[in-house]
Amino acid sequence: MGKYGTIARLHARLEKKEISCTELTKAYLGAIGKENGGLNAYVKVTPEIALDTAAKVDAKLAAGESLSPLEGIPMTLKDNISTKGVETTCCSKMLRGYIPVYDAAVWKALKAQNAVLLGKTNMDEFAMGSSCETSCFGGAKNPRDRSRVAGGSSGGAAAAVSAGLAAYALGSDTGGSIRQPASFCGVVGFKPTYGAVSRYGLIAYASSFDQIGPIAPSVEDAALVYDAISAYDPMDSTCSGSREPVCSALGNGVRGKRIGVAKEFFDGVRPDVAKALADAADVFRALGAQIVEFSLPPVKYCVPVYYILACAEASSNLGRYDGIRYGYRTEHYADRNDMVCKTRSEGFGAEVKRRILLGTYVLSAGYYDAYYKKAQSLRGAIVRSFDAAFRKCDVILAPTVPTTAFPEHYAAKDPVETYLTDICTVPANIAGLPGISVPCGRGGDGMPVGMQLIGPKFSEAALLCAANQYELAARETATGATGTGVGL
Amino acid sequence: MVTHEEILKVANLAKLSVAPEELDGLTEDMNEIIRFADTVGEAAADAGEFDNINGLFNVFREDAVAPSYDREEILHNAPCAEDGYFLVRRRG
Repeated sequence: MGKYGTIARLHARLEKKEISCTELTKAYLGAIGKENGGLNAYVKVTPEIALDTAAKVDAKLAAGESLSPLEGIPMTLKDNISTKGVETTCCSKMLRGYIPVYDAAVWKALKAQNAVLLGKTNMDEFAMGSSCETSCFGGAKNPRDRSRVAGGSSGGAAAAVSAGLAAYALGSDTGGSIRQPASFCGVVGFKPTYGAVSRYGLIAYASSFDQIGPIAPSVEDAALVYDAISAYDPMDSTCSGSREPVCSALGNGVRGKRIGVAKEFFDGVRPDVAKALADAADVFRALGAQIVEFSLPPVKYCVPVYYILACAEASSNLGRYDGIRYGYRTEHYADRNDMVCKTRSEGFGAEVKRRILLGTYVLSAGYYDAYYKKAQSLRGAIVRSFDAAFRKCDVILAPTVPTTAFPEHYAAKDPVETYLTDICTVPANIAGLPGISVPCGRGGDGMPVGMQLIGPKFSEAALLCAANQYELAARETATGATGTGVGL
Repeated sequence: MVTHEEILKVANLAKLSVAPEELDGLTEDMNEIIRFADTVGEAAADAGEFDNINGLFNVFREDAVAPSYDREEILHNAPCAEDGYFLVRRRG
C-alpha cells in the first residue's frame, strides 16, 4: 500500500506538512486554468468551495489533528451527481441552471470528510453516449491525444484524472460509462456491484443498471474511494452497501486464483488490443494464477438486451422533464400539451430523443412482448450464465473496449455501429456485477488499452486485489508509469 | 419496418414533437436500431420468465413525519412560480 497511490502520497505530504491543503488545491486549480480550455474536462470549476474546504483542512493540520484518507484531497464529480447549491446539468440544455436542493449520498459522504471539490466534469447528455460528444458543452478531449475523444459517458472525469487535473473523480456507469473512458484515457475505472454504492442524488438514466464508482490513477486509489462511498443508504432501497472493506485485501496474492477467459469477449476485438490482453494474461500466469478458457454464449445478446431495457427505463425516468418544476421550458406554446412537447423537443439532444423513442416503442402495446419482455427473459439467462461461469473461475478477464479511443467526430454509419462498441462493458451492468478497467499497455496507435476484470456480485475485495496485483506487476516491467500531472 | 406514422405515434406517447425535416432521418435510424433489437428474437424462447435480477426486496420504514426541503428553495428551480406554487400559463 502507498507505493503507487496518488491519494496516499498526497495524504502523506499533507500530514507531514510538506505542502498545505490550500497550496495543493491552488496547484490543481492552476492546472485546470491552464489545461481545461483545451481539454473541456470540467464544465464547472468551483474554486470557492475548494479553497473553503482547504482552509478547514489546514486549520485541522495546524491544530495537530490527523486526517482521514480522503481529507483534503482535490477531486471532482460527474455532472449528473447532485451537489447542493452547485449547478448540476447532466450536460443537457434541459437542466442548464438547475441547482439541486440536496447532496447525492456519495457527495455527502465525501464532503463529511472534507474532500476538496474542484468542480463538475463533462459527460454525454444524460450519460447517453460513448464519446462525451453528446454533451451540450461539446465533448472532452483525450489528454493522451487531443484529436481523439476521452470516451463516454464519464469522459470529463477520465480526462481530468488522466491529465492530473484531479486526484480522483466519481463517475457513473450504466453500460460502461466509467470503464470505457478510463480505458481510453489510460486510468483506472471501477464500477462496483449494483447496490454497493447509493444512487441517491444520481440523476437517473436506467435505474436497474446505473451505478456510481471511482475513476483514479491507480487501483489503490480507486479502492480507497470505494471504501469511503460504499455504505448502506436508507434513501436508496436497492443499496445494501459493501460487504467488506477492500483496501485491507489489496495485498493478498493471486496465486492459485482462476482467471476466466471467455472467447465471446474477444470476437471482433482489434488484434493489437487482443495482444495487449494476451500479455496481461501472461502477467497473471507469472503471478501464479491459472487461466481458464470457456464459452459464454449469451454475451452476443448483451448489446441489444441492454439497449432495449436501458432505453425502456430511460423513457420512463426522463418523463419527469416536463418544463413545470425545474429545468428548461419553451417560450411559445398553444396549450399545456404543446408546452410539454416543445420543452422536451427543444431541451433534449438527438441521442436522448432517439433513446426515449426506442424505449417508448419497446414498451408500447403490440411490441412489449417481442422486445421488452423477451429482453428481460434474456437478462435472466445472462445472469445465470455468469453464475455458471463463476463456478469455473474467480475473475473474468476481458477487454474493456474492442479498440482504443476513437478519433473526434468519428462518423459511425448509424447509431448501431456506435452501440456495438459497448459489447465488453454492458454484460457487467446487465448482470449487476462489479467490473474494473486497468491500463494494460498500448495499442498499435500508441493509445492506452484497458484490461477489464469482472467478478461475482459483492466480490470487490478479491476483484480489486487481482487488479492491484496485476497493476503492480505490470508497472514494474513497464516504462513510463503515469504521473500526477500537476508535478506533485 | 417502422413507418413515419409509427414514429409520430410513439413520439406523441413520449411527448416529443418531430419536425417534418427530421422525420426521414429519424425513421431511418429507428429502423436500423429496431432491426438490431430484433436479434433478441433469435434467442431460445425458453430463456425463462422475468427474473429479479438484482435480488431486490421491499424495504419499509415507519410512516413518520420528518422535515422536508424548503419550499422556496425548490421553487427557485421552477421556470415560473407564484404565491408558493409552480405556475404554467394556459398559453405562452
